[in-house]
Amino acid sequence: MRGTRNRWITSAVASIAVLGMVAGCGSGSDGGDSGGGDGGSAGGSAGGEVSGTLEIQYFVGGYGDEWWKSVISDFKKEYPDVTVKQHAGPNINKEMQTRWISGNPPDVVYIDGAGISQTQMVDDGQLMDLTEWMKGVKLPDGTPMMDSFIVPPNEYDGKIYSLPLIFDTWGTWYDQAWFEENGWEVPTDFPSWMDSMGRIKQDANIAPFTTAGQYPYYFSRGVLYPAFAAEGGDELLNAIIDGEEGAWKSDGAIAVMERVKKMVEAGYVDPGFAGISHTQSQSNFLQHQNAYIPVGFWLPNEMAKDTPEGFEYGFMPTPMNAEGEKQVLVPDLRSLAIADQAENPAAAKAFVEFAFQKKYATQFAEMTGALLNMQGVDLSGNKNVPGYLKQANQLINSGDVAIHHKQHPMSSEMELPIGDALVKFLLGKTTVEQFTDKAASIAKDYRSSN
Amino acid sequence: MVQSKKQRFLFLAFCLGPTLLVFSVITLYPLVNGLYLSFFEWSGMSIEKTFVGLANYEKLFNDPIIPQTIWHDYFLVVTKVIGIMVLATYFAVALTQFRIKEAPFYRIVFFFPNIMSVVIIGILWQFIYNPDAGLVNSGLEAIGLEEWTQPWLGDLNWALPSLVLPSVWAGIGLFMLLLMGGIMSVPKSLYEAADLDGATEWQQFWRITVPMIWPQIRVSIIYIVITTLNGSFIIVQIMTRGGPSSSTEVMGSYLYEQAFEQFHFGYGAAIGMMILVLSLATVAVLQLVLRRERVEL
Repeated sequence: MRGTRNRWITSAVASIAVLGMVAGCGSGSDGGDSGGGDGGSAGGSAGGEVSGTLEIQYFVGGYGDEWWKSVISDFKKEYPDVTVKQHAGPNINKEMQTRWISGNPPDVVYIDGAGISQTQMVDDGQLMDLTEWMKGVKLPDGTPMMDSFIVPPNEYDGKIYSLPLIFDTWGTWYDQAWFEENGWEVPTDFPSWMDSMGRIKQDANIAPFTTAGQYPYYFSRGVLYPAFAAEGGDELLNAIIDGEEGAWKSDGAIAVMERVKKMVEAGYVDPGFAGISHTQSQSNFLQHQNAYIPVGFWLPNEMAKDTPEGFEYGFMPTPMNAEGEKQVLVPDLRSLAIADQAENPAAAKAFVEFAFQKKYATQFAEMTGALLNMQGVDLSGNKNVPGYLKQANQLINSGDVAIHHKQHPMSSEMELPIGDALVKFLLGKTTVEQFTDKAASIAKDYRSSN
Repeated sequence: MVQSKKQRFLFLAFCLGPTLLVFSVITLYPLVNGLYLSFFEWSGMSIEKTFVGLANYEKLFNDPIIPQTIWHDYFLVVTKVIGIMVLATYFAVALTQFRIKEAPFYRIVFFFPNIMSVVIIGILWQFIYNPDAGLVNSGLEAIGLEEWTQPWLGDLNWALPSLVLPSVWAGIGLFMLLLMGGIMSVPKSLYEAADLDGATEWQQFWRITVPMIWPQIRVSIIYIVITTLNGSFIIVQIMTRGGPSSSTEVMGSYLYEQAFEQFHFGYGAAIGMMILVLSLATVAVLQLVLRRERVEL
């Protein structure tokens, strides 16, 4: 008798624990597909009276939140009738998810960080169509806003749903001071990069290159994208991003992967890269365990607290270009958008218009070390802007560097599995042919499922 | 005073009602909702969902990653059960039977990892496995086994086995206490009688201790199996994020990736259902395998 009871209790404990686990997976929605009706797909122009409550959702990552606080505080002074409610933090995208699902989203959203995807939001009809409104918006100096972006907004079937706010770009970083001390030259193309890595490996007895194996997209976006663009221009770059047939098996893509293979075979890639996260790889880089790392403009800001004294951030477009070709930058933009179901579209539009001002562009460069996506902002004489940013700004304007654009980010449905294959390739476990075959088959699966 | 039938009923309803309510809200409802969502194509962000019938389950059967995640999970289950049970039993016996003076101190030391958050454990062990400065590699170098050093978490073959050590380390304490409770309730007279009969300590362990604490052993094994199948993804997410190249991807981490990173919430729910079914089946099998006649005194 006692035996049976005991068994029953054990099973009960077991079952409850199992059920509890699925509870964890299934929660997060209240199943209602009614979504609160068609609560007004917010027409109206910003010209209307601007008052009421304005809710803003913004992710806080490498750029910090200082700039947001400053803009919002100025906005409140300009529009005293508006109460601004901020939803911010490093996990804000997940925290706000239930609000989006239930049809009660914030008015303005800054699309960045994990757990949010612009393409997905457009697909889901969560963002307001800004095409018509944008035609009439002008900056305080009278130039139309559409003409003042460095990179124009993404278009989905000819419509604009988000405005590119932050102009960032991936590239490769090094320590200028360390390079000068050792007499290492900064490379400008792939052969000179290989020479440089060879010399560093010999002089410092380290694997010169590192990246975040836990997030292989640091390598794809930081090294492969500019390499594809250098090899085959916008066409090859976008064909790869869209998973087009034949893209991965094209001569250009194979030439790029052959170059990466050379780095791997020469032992220039840190053998421990596959197990580390972005922050670990970045701190290894700061500790001179490696000399080159592909990251975006946010690196110095993100690692500000861990940067050793005397370390001087140097930024270069990743030199994957063939000899005699121009180095390439592929900008990466973070957007600002208005929710389709925004309760206060007038205030939302007023805020978006307010944020795109030259003085905030300058402030952004000073506070975050990255650029706002606005033309004609002169940073050269500004003492508060970090040196690498002025250098990069100069590079962008000099014409020595080719700028190529991706139409939109790669779908995570392709990016994650390709990243897995890439890690194997960078570990030296697969050949160029095996890798490109795998990537091509992932792209094929993607095409057939969409 | 004899209770009337009505009083008895009211008393039972009073006890069971709230429990049932809470159980329904926090367990049954999400379970049913998870099942419901697994029949939809849903991004997890959208207001609208599209009914797709069994399409998510069809995808589940054709997804080449799924068999890998199942194998990784069961690898962790088997290695953890063996590792934790052997060590926890050894420590429990040592601390109760061997009359060690410092036993209370060791009890606290062994239990210590149990009061630490898994997140802290994961981060701590990341440092231990660090290829350049970690304890494991520097330890191997110190004893002259330099060729054994590895980038543990970054190696396709070593990453998954490397996750076993922290999981075992974190799990021993609780089960050691559970087994110690069992051992201490075994009457001393049994051991005395065995001593008189000339049984060795080893024989005493197998013939007396193990049968007498079998219920505790069984509960421990089942508990380890369930917590691994449901919870292994926490340590995976923190230490390797399923990598390198999916070599440590478990069912839970794949569910997370699908539902929250690739925005296939319905498919994620279908994976959740698979975890439920596999867990239930495993527990049912274990119940049968581990069934033994209880020793009645």
